[in-house]
Parts: sequence; C-alpha cells; structure tokens
Amino acid sequence: MSDSIVQVKDLWVEFKTDEGTVQAVKGATYDIPRGKTVGLVGESGSGKSVSSLAMMGLIPQPPGIIKQGEILFEGEDLLKKTESEMRKVRGNDISMIFQEPMTSLNPVFTVGDQIGETLRLHQKLNKKEADEKALDLLDKVGIPNPSQRIKSYPHEMSGGQRQRVMIAMAIACEPKLLIADEPTTALDVTIQKQILELLAKLQEDFNMSMLFITHDLALIGDIADDVIVMYKGDIVERGKCSKIFQNANHPYTRGLIACRPPLEHIPQRLPMVSDFMDESGKEKSFDNSKVQDRIIRPLGDSEILMEMKDIKKHFPIRGGIFGTVKDHVKAVDGVSLNVYKGRTLGLVGESGCGKTTLGRTVLRLIEPTEGQIIYDGEDITNYDKTQMREMRKKMQIIFQDPYASLNPRMTVGSSIMEPMVIHNLGGSRSERQDMAADLMKRVDLEPFHLNRYPHEFSGGQRQRICIARALAVKPDFIICDESVSALDVSVQAQVLNLLLDLQDEFNLTYIFISHDLAVVKFISDELAVMNGGKVVELADSRSIYENPQEDYTKKLLEAIPKGIPKELAGLAERKQ
Amino acid sequence: MTTQAATSASQIPKKKSANSLWRDAYRRILANRIALASMVVIIVYVLMALLAQFGLIATDYNLTNTDLKWLSPSSEYLFGTDIFGRSVLHRAIHGSVIAVTVGFFAALIALFIGVTMGALAGYFGGWVDDSITWLYTTIDSIPYILLMASFQFALGQGLSNLFFALGLTSWVTLCRLVRAEFLKQKQKEYVESARSLGASHFRRIFLHILPNVMHLGLIQFGLIFVSAIKIEVILSFLGLGVEAGVPSWGIMINEAKQELNRGYWWNLGAATVFMFGLVLAVNLFNDALRDALDPKLKNK
Repeated sequence: MSDSIVQVKDLWVEFKTDEGTVQAVKGATYDIPRGKTVGLVGESGSGKSVSSLAMMGLIPQPPGIIKQGEILFEGEDLLKKTESEMRKVRGNDISMIFQEPMTSLNPVFTVGDQIGETLRLHQKLNKKEADEKALDLLDKVGIPNPSQRIKSYPHEMSGGQRQRVMIAMAIACEPKLLIADEPTTALDVTIQKQILELLAKLQEDFNMSMLFITHDLALIGDIADDVIVMYKGDIVERGKCSKIFQNANHPYTRGLIACRPPLEHIPQRLPMVSDFMDESGKEKSFDNSKVQDRIIRPLGDSEILMEMKDIKKHFPIRGGIFGTVKDHVKAVDGVSLNVYKGRTLGLVGESGCGKTTLGRTVLRLIEPTEGQIIYDGEDITNYDKTQMREMRKKMQIIFQDPYASLNPRMTVGSSIMEPMVIHNLGGSRSERQDMAADLMKRVDLEPFHLNRYPHEFSGGQRQRICIARALAVKPDFIICDESVSALDVSVQAQVLNLLLDLQDEFNLTYIFISHDLAVVKFISDELAVMNGGKVVELADSRSIYENPQEDYTKKLLEAIPKGIPKELAGLAERKQ
Repeated sequence: MTTQAATSASQIPKKKSANSLWRDAYRRILANRIALASMVVIIVYVLMALLAQFGLIATDYNLTNTDLKWLSPSSEYLFGTDIFGRSVLHRAIHGSVIAVTVGFFAALIALFIGVTMGALAGYFGGWVDDSITWLYTTIDSIPYILLMASFQFALGQGLSNLFFALGLTSWVTLCRLVRAEFLKQKQKEYVESARSLGASHFRRIFLHILPNVMHLGLIQFGLIFVSAIKIEVILSFLGLGVEAGVPSWGIMINEAKQELNRGYWWNLGAATVFMFGLVLAVNLFNDALRDALDPKLKNK
C-alpha cells in the first residue's frame, strides 16, 4: 500500500449544457498523502470543486459525465463502486464540509440530533451512546457550554458556530479524509481564522488527510502541506506549499499570490492575474516590485462632503402578548464621522458591528433614531420623499451580492438605464442606450452585452454592471457595502482597481464597508474600526497597520491570512 | 465622444436576446411533446368554440324534431339525439363555448384580483396586509359552493354574472401565493437597489417584483381555468348556472339524470368526454408550464 490515501489518475469530467459540452476537469492527476493537508486552489469555474465531488460520487449524472480516469481510495477505485457501496464510504471514510453553514444544517432538528444521526447511521450506536459522542464532539470543535448547546437549533447559533457543528458532523465517524470545500468563504476574517486553526488542530489530532478547496491562495498557506493550483480545468501548478509561495512556476499562481491586498504597504493598484499572463495563458513579463506605492494626501486638503453627527439607530425588541417594546438593539450607537470629497472612508468590523446599518442610515434607506446627516452643507435628515428622491441622484450604493442585486428578469441594459429613466437623464431611449454603452465600456464590459440577462454573466462581471448602474446617475458619493466580499480574490483585485480608477476619473467619494481589513486598508484614505455600534478607532490607513491602538483592531489585523506556509510560521508553535 | 457613442449604440443588436428566463421557459415548453400535444388540444377546443359561436359549425344544435327523439348513436348522430331530437354532439360542441369563456374570464378576473391584492399585501405589509388577509380568510372560510350559489343568486343568472361570481371567489389561493412571494422578493437586494436609485413604490412593485412573481400567476391561471369549468358544470347541474336552454355540459348532465334509468347514456357520455378532454389537456399543459418556469428543474 502506498502512502497516499487518495490517488486521482487522469480524471476527465465534462458537463453537457444547452450551449454545448463544458470540460470541467481535463486530465487531473494528483495524490493526497496520508495525514497531510492538500490545498486545491482556483477561481470559480476552474473545476476545483468538481474533482472533489467526483471523489464523493456526488456529480449529478446527467448532465455530468466522468469520461475517464480513476480515483483510488486506499487502492480501490471509487468510480467503479455502486451507489450503495458509496453510501458506506460517504460520511464514514470520506466526509465533507460545505461553504454555506446557513443552509447545510436542517433547521427543524437540534444540532445534537443531527450529529447523532451520522453516528447512528454509520457506527450503529444507540441513541444514548450517540448523544454522548455528540457532546464530546461539540466540545472538541470548541463550542462553549456543549451540554446546553446540544439542544440548540441551527438558527440559535452564529455562522461560525454552525460551521463548527458542520465540522463536528464531518469528523463524527473519524473519517480518513476530510474534504473542506470553501469552508470559510461565507465567514468573517476573524471567524475564518478560528475555523482554520480548528481544522488544523483536528487534522493532527485525528491524523486525517484533508483536501482544502479555496479560491484564496493566502488562506492555504496557513494550513496546507501541498498545493495544487487549477485553472480552467487544468492543473497548472503542484508542489510543496513553501516552495510555491517563494517560487511559483506558473504565471497564474504568481498572479494569485500577488493580487491579494498587501498589509505592509499600499500600492497604487493591485497586480492582477492578467498582468502575469494573457487570455491564452501565455506569460507576460511583469515585475510586481516595480508597482509604486500610492501617495496619500493629507485629508485636510479636501473639503468635507458629508458629516455624520452622533448617529444612532436602535431597533426595538418587542415581547409579551401586547407586543410592548422591552429593549433595543443598539445597531449604531452614536457615530460621528466626516467624509471628505474625492476620498474614501473605510468602515471595518465583524458582522453585527453596525457598519452596514450605518451605511444604509446615511443613505436614509433606514431612518436614523437620532443624529444628523449633513451632506454638502445641507441637513438631509428631515428631507421628505421628493427631496430625498433628488438626493438619490447624488448618493449611490453598491451591494455585496451581485447575484441578488440585479433584477433577473431585466436585461442588463434596462437595469443600467433605469436610474436615467427615473431621474429623467438623457432625452430619448437611444440617447440613454448610448450612455449605457459608454458606461459598459467604462467598466470594461462589451457594450453589445447590454441585451443580455444577469444570469449570463459571472459574479465579477455582475458587480461591474452594478457599478455601471450606480454611475448612471453621475453620483458624487457611493457606498460600497461589502462590494468585493463575494468575489474570488483574483476578481476582487480587478474590481478594486476599477473603483480606484473611477474615483480618480470622476472625483468620487466612497464609503467602503468590509470585514476584511486588508481590503479596506488598500482602498481607503481614512479608516474607522467599528465594534458594537461604536467607532473604536479612527486613523489613516497607514498608521492603523503600523500602530494600532485598540486590541480589537489588533485582533482584526491578526486574523488576515498572511499567506505564509505553515512550516515557515513554525508549526511547533501551534502545537503548543 | 458623441460619434464614439453612436457607433457603440449601433453595435447593439435590436433584437431581444434569446436568453431571457421567459424565452428559456418557452424553449423548454417547445421541447416537451406532451405539452405540445395538449396545447394542440386546447387550440382545437378554442377554435371549436369560436366556430360554433359564430354559427359556422353545428348550427342545428337547437333544431327540435320530436320524431327523432332519443336516437341511439349512429354515423349520422355520433352521440345520438336528446328528448327533443337535437343532436347531442352538436350540443356538446356548443357547450365548449360556455366552458372556454367561463374558464377564461373567470381566471382572468381572479388573476387580476389575486395578483393585485397579493402584491399590495405582501409589499406594503402593516394594515394593508392585515385587511387583505382578513378579507381572504373570511371568503375562504365560507363553503365554496354556498358562496358561489349566493353570489349567483344575488347577481342573477346569466353568463357574465357567472364569470364574476367565479372570478370573485377563486382568487384566494393565488393571492396567498403572490403575497408570500412578494414578502420574500421585497427583501432582495435588487429591490433595495432600485429604492436607492430613487424608484417609486409603483415602479418597484410592477416593474421589479411583479415579473419575478408572474410565473405563479400563469400557473394559477390554468388551475383556476380548470376549476371554473368544473364548477360551472356543478352549478348548471344544480340549476344555478347559465339559464336553461343554453347548451352547457352541466345542463346536459342535468338532463341526463332523468334519461339514465331508461338507458339513454349519450347526453352524459358526450358532456363527460368533452369536459374530460379539455380539463386533461389544460392540466397537462399546466404541469409542463410549471416545470418550464421552475428554475430549479432547469437542467433536467
């Protein structure tokens, strides 16, 4: 028997769609060594998840076809097993954690029941034994107070805790291989760090092998021994984690490493994968070290565009039979900030810190409980509907989820032209169409795609469309609410660069909201760290990294994946 | 700048893209043989009703000739004759006029009321929602036939009153579905982004959310169509439907109840076969429509 737990040999998978056959995996060959962690990196559509689904026998057929290849698990070909044989493997020998902890737990059962179910199914434990084991598992995955939490329902837990429960379910039968498919993408950076540490610890304790799938190469550096990089169905790079970070062979890998916003300095623009290679995959010469740092002018050079004065937003909690107000959730609790014309204010904090509520209150999509919003010298807090509709021309917002923020039944063109129709910009339809075509070009999309529907675009393209729509009314002020958080890192870099270019061109003012300090720091001039509805630290983006004052800021900085391989970071240290 | 914009606009193909979600659904319907077959059957019924209405076929449906009463089915009279010697086949063909119009207009009225009420209730919430919910819960708690009968009694007999009575009582399920879907859709970011662009309530309801909810209306339209046809038959059988003398399948079945014990089954037979054909076709088409419109079933 070899020292590999899984050997994938020349795997070809394709999908039949209306548009023709798509080659998802083109001849992948790789091993997962026993007791090691392999990181599988690639952007969406690279085929990274498909090869792991094939391992679990979870590829829907049709439309999927496994054309050829072998997946040997301890010497046996998984692709030749029948469905009932595969059922014994799934959850028992190989188990899997998914991206979305919100939807992968069944909301009508307690978490204890759900962990117990796996155990009763595969290990034939009785109810009592299963409950005991479930309790033990919850403790192992670091859920505080497990004997009480075992009776909780999924909605009573936070996203991070749910992901811990998912992990407990996955390791319940002590699998030999754990597949983690983007397990932290939906989580805040701080929670992400905790989950990564947990997975690394469990992997050692149980001596499991782990296949860790992600779009973020920096993440893998923290946890993997070996790295495989996939691009458009091909494996373009494979090797020891430490070697890849220091000396990547393929330009795509180098692009992935470079495109994450760095912490130590603030470059003028982020390097993108397209700087390292062209469409066909041909290498371009690009020297990352030659990118100059951005010169940050002092904020005092610019006028104040918006003032927030002691803004509060309290949501009432009602209770009792008469629905009386018992208490308030203080989502935003007295925030005063200034936004300077043509500059960017970054808002950073974990989910629930009030940053999103603040953003929406400023636009008066939510009415503030107290406080004043002064825009360009005018107090807009008490503007009525018609005045506010006029204001909407000047203030725009770009949301987090580009999949949800475009109407699926409207063409992209109609979406971009809609604000012009509402605000009577451009006299005729053809004039508006010309303006929309220009906007499409400005965000690097083809103007003739205006007649297409949102589902025909990728996530990054949709976010560009949202940006084009926001620009349609020629605003002065844009709030970007987690606008790049749902995107792959490589796409994130493109969108961030675009936002910077647009700011220069149109003298835009941004409030940039994110949970990822690295991203906010790259794009902002000034940075406000929020916690519990209050601003805990306000500083320019350079000094916040170099000299953070608050513990909370330090914690956020700490949580950012550094992309330093674990051998280098000192594994011994973590073992203690 | 302007010349550049002009060239870019001329690059935009004028034709609508072939990939809207509606077009997708249309393509899937065309690829479904059962759907196509039932569509053909529905078209045949509609044509039959139109031709009969304009006096182009089965013109002798009301020609009485007592010498020919209760003839058995033959090549001349495919479904025999009734007590007055009228061709049962031709009466059944004329019955399709009532069935198709009643089904169509009742469903149209119910669609209008159900979608509007559901949209307003779901979108605005608060007291609007409370009053609409109260209204449909009240209507829904009255036994259906009783409610129908009382409407019909209050409005008086007649075809147009039948539409209204059926329409006014059939919108509840649709309203519930549309309300629930509006509650879900109004929280989506595309609606919020429309708001941040300055779009009015009207625009958000009718231009943004409604197209994303309309598939429910289409499917319910077919279901109300079928149930209206069936209820018309029951009402006519009870003597509460259209006036006596107008050929309707319900009245034919009503007449057949005296004839059956003498062995004259063809009035019942013809009405049943005609009704069965239409109801089955609409139901099958509706199933296909639901599959085609459901994005979750897309690649099956």
